[in-house]
Amino acid sequence: MLDNLITVDKDNIREAVNNKKLYGHRFVAATCEKEGEDYELTYHFDLNYEMSHIRILIKPEDVIKSVSSIYPSALLIENEYKDLYGFNFEGLLIDYKGHLMLSDKAPDTPMLAKKDNKEA
Amino acid sequence: MAKTVIPFGPQHPVLPEPIQLKLVMEDEKVVEALPSIGYVHRGLEKMAELKDFNQSVYIVERVCGICSFMHSMAYVRGIENLMNIQIPERAEYLRVIWAEIGRLQSHFLWLGLLADAFGFESLFMETWKYREKILDLMEMTTGNRVIISANKVGGTTKDITEEQMKIILSTVDELEKEMKDVEKVFFDSYTVKQRLVGVGILTKQDAEEYAVVGPMARGSGIKYDLRATGYSAYKNLDFEPVVENAGDSYARCIVRVKEIYQAFDLIRQAIAKMPSGDIAVPVKGFPKGETISRLEQPRGEAIYYIKANGTKNLERLKIRTPTFANIPSLLKMLPGSKLQDVPVLVLTIDPCISCTER
Repeated sequence: MLDNLITVDKDNIREAVNNKKLYGHRFVAATCEKEGEDYELTYHFDLNYEMSHIRILIKPEDVIKSVSSIYPSALLIENEYKDLYGFNFEGLLIDYKGHLMLSDKAPDTPMLAKKDNKEA
Repeated sequence: MAKTVIPFGPQHPVLPEPIQLKLVMEDEKVVEALPSIGYVHRGLEKMAELKDFNQSVYIVERVCGICSFMHSMAYVRGIENLMNIQIPERAEYLRVIWAEIGRLQSHFLWLGLLADAFGFESLFMETWKYREKILDLMEMTTGNRVIISANKVGGTTKDITEEQMKIILSTVDELEKEMKDVEKVFFDSYTVKQRLVGVGILTKQDAEEYAVVGPMARGSGIKYDLRATGYSAYKNLDFEPVVENAGDSYARCIVRVKEIYQAFDLIRQAIAKMPSGDIAVPVKGFPKGETISRLEQPRGEAIYYIKANGTKNLERLKIRTPTFANIPSLLKMLPGSKLQDVPVLVLTIDPCISCTER
């Protein structure tokens, strides 16, 4: 478990992230991983070398409020997750429409592929 | 005035790797810029889920050729944290020496590319001549010139002998003397200043807004360098981040030149304080839990998020590289600039696209 982690409802993500900005936190990254049938989307912040995290639980079909209008630096990672997981972000600062990382001929949502083909 | 859209890249003489900028121009002035990537995405994070966590060391080393060592260092530190592994102190010092050698070759490479971008061919060749000596050190100590494969979970795979340390120290002394001549050109040359001073200003407020990292942030007055947190053996070395306040391309160049001297100093300190002993400890079991490992690469802060479930395969490996953090700042720096300055501005973020796309 990460230190300084809070979980909020997905509909409240913008308010929670905006609070981070008001207190001077720097947006660092966002990570996403599968948790049961849902996905955990975690936004990471830094203030004076100390990290804190805001997590939301989402389903692939959910509409997620983009935080890129609060932190412009979040626009690439949100577009990346749109490509790789197929998440639908509402209010993206720039919408690459699923083609930030992937070309037209690439497989859809490659990070959702099952792990049953483990090699090692 | 009519607007023109110019595609800059993905193949362009100043770009070592593919990135495209769609530049909306009014005459010679950029009014809007949209960066596009996606030409070299390799799916390395997904691949890491399919491999044994020890094999993934070799995957992350290939995220980027230039900061290869520090990618593996961030990864193994994360795994060691999850498995509560205390590596030998000598291994911590060895990691710092190779990390700073890596920083040197990366900064020399960048200085050469910058000189090449504004047509200063002799300066380009001079800096890359010095970089060769750094690559020779990497080859001497590890057998490889770029991807040195010196990290493993539990320590390092290789040691540096007393004789090799003497050669490193003499090379550092020699390079420091030679660097004085090159420094004069970067700091004082009319040609260099004409192309860098006042170009692409990113104020401290903008740098915070766009969350830039590394020399980009420090060139805009943000005193942020993860080495100051004292990870690995840095806790035992004297270190103060290099900071410039102008926020222009010249400031970013000065930061990197000064960080070359800083790397010389850190290598000397690490060798002077190098303890004797083992370079690795045996590792048993599998990692479990989630952690974030981060460190200061030549281009800035790298983040490794690792989630493991107690098996040999990781649940998730997420890598946030410094260039990924710095690209959005182009949206701020490019509008208002002249077309002739676009190559220099793109280079001042020190773009590493293979890192960014993984």
